[in-house]
Amino acid sequence: MKRRLSEAFYIGMLDILPLLRDPMILIMISLISFMPVIFIGLMASGTAIAVQSLIGAVVLTLFFGGIQVAQSSYFNKHWFRFQDIYVASPVRPVSYAMGLSISTIIGALPATLIAVAILVFIWPVSVLGIVMLVAVSLLLWASTVFLGFTLGSSLKDTRKANSIPQVLGFVLGFMPPVYYPLSVLPVWLQPIAMLSPTTHAAQLAKYYLGLIAIPEWQVIVGWTYLFGFLGLMVMLAKRWSKWVDP
Amino acid sequence: MDAISAAGIGKTYPKGVVALIDVSFKVEKGSVFCLLGRNGAGKTTLLRILATQLRPTTGKAEVLGFDVSTRTLPLREKIAVVPQEARPLMMLSAYDHIYYMCRIRGLGDSQAKARTQEIMTELELWEHKDKLTADLSGGLRQRVIIGMALIPKAELIFLDEPSIGLDPLGRRIIWQIIRKMTRVGVTVVLTTHYMDEAENLADKLLIIDKGRTVFFGTVDEAKAATGAEMKMILQKPGTTTLDREVIVPKSEQEIVETVQRGIREGKHVTFKPPTLEEAFIHFAGGSIEEET
Repeated sequence: MKRRLSEAFYIGMLDILPLLRDPMILIMISLISFMPVIFIGLMASGTAIAVQSLIGAVVLTLFFGGIQVAQSSYFNKHWFRFQDIYVASPVRPVSYAMGLSISTIIGALPATLIAVAILVFIWPVSVLGIVMLVAVSLLLWASTVFLGFTLGSSLKDTRKANSIPQVLGFVLGFMPPVYYPLSVLPVWLQPIAMLSPTTHAAQLAKYYLGLIAIPEWQVIVGWTYLFGFLGLMVMLAKRWSKWVDP
Repeated sequence: MDAISAAGIGKTYPKGVVALIDVSFKVEKGSVFCLLGRNGAGKTTLLRILATQLRPTTGKAEVLGFDVSTRTLPLREKIAVVPQEARPLMMLSAYDHIYYMCRIRGLGDSQAKARTQEIMTELELWEHKDKLTADLSGGLRQRVIIGMALIPKAELIFLDEPSIGLDPLGRRIIWQIIRKMTRVGVTVVLTTHYMDEAENLADKLLIIDKGRTVFFGTVDEAKAATGAEMKMILQKPGTTTLDREVIVPKSEQEIVETVQRGIREGKHVTFKPPTLEEAFIHFAGGSIEEET
């Protein structure tokens, strides 16, 4: 177990080290999930809206990190060929997947910490609220790590390996009501928005931080949806992700 | 003892592309086994099957006594691989690559540092240790990848075109390392397009063409099997290659006579033994004729 954790940690370090060596890139990556916050902060009035967008920034920073695994695993397999080196060694696939996911956590950490710090500064948050915000974000992140690993290890087309994660990031990240309230969407669009796991994660986070009130059953549906999405992504990874080529 | 034993290996990719058909051979422990073939002949497919990176469709292969399809975990403890066209991460240094790969392979910090220095010195990389790989030449980058494979002191190492992009001296460093490894009992499986490399290193050769074995044996056997013979070249000093005379002597007597004639006529006499390249073209060249 110790050996596997060590493998995972150093695989993650090898993956994230280029960013740690050049913090400017890390800052730029962090800014991507902060851009809507800055935009909404400038355009909209009221602390509540700014808080909603900050919650969105926390949820989506980890979400984008998870999606990033698709590109990391694709390029490790087809461009750098490091996956071949790992396969023909004692490294286990679970260590490799964990390693790539650890690097996304490290990459997402600065933006997440800054967003939480600003949140604590401008909004009366409880410890439970912060814990729940982190919990739903990590749950969503874990799902996208599995999704990213499945995509990265099974895709064979470099163009798709670049475009699919970005399309997913836009459709599931920027479009749904994560940075902004669900209520601003037309009523007919709201059920469609609820198809996205990011909407559920954001709704739960906003609920636990006291920004919105939702009935108990919606809270249960939210958690069920997030766990169900995670289960589906794990199944997809077991079925489609490839360690040894067929 | 055989390091590798392969019987009837076949590979058809999921989309129906047939890469290997009924390939069988054995490789002795501590030897250099060289896979030759044209681009797309199936060399890398075979190497990846033996290195447990790809599943065979038919046949059975054992590497170091372990079945490559069913006993991969114990086998992977004993092997290392340099994949074809592997690239280092441009924003990391040569040192980072080897040090972190040491850590991934389970070495502690001080062991990893010592092993990194040992490998980098052996590969003449130490003076470049702090440079980003983006700033290294193609040959030095290739040495970084080779360095990553040398970490575990494996019993069998797979090198898929390891010397591609290296200058002649860089290639000789790799050859020295390969010879050094075999002296301590390490088996090396090598694919290459450089015939001089195969000629210098290989104990046994497998030439594949369109997925099928067309030759298996030693370098000398390959040359002998083609019927290629030693040539003698007579040329007056200062003349062009158009003025030279090429003779294929049929007997020792003819060799002596040709040398004497060269002395009499004031011509240089050069002996040109058959090359592996000629043998390779003989075995794999059929498919060129079919294509044209």
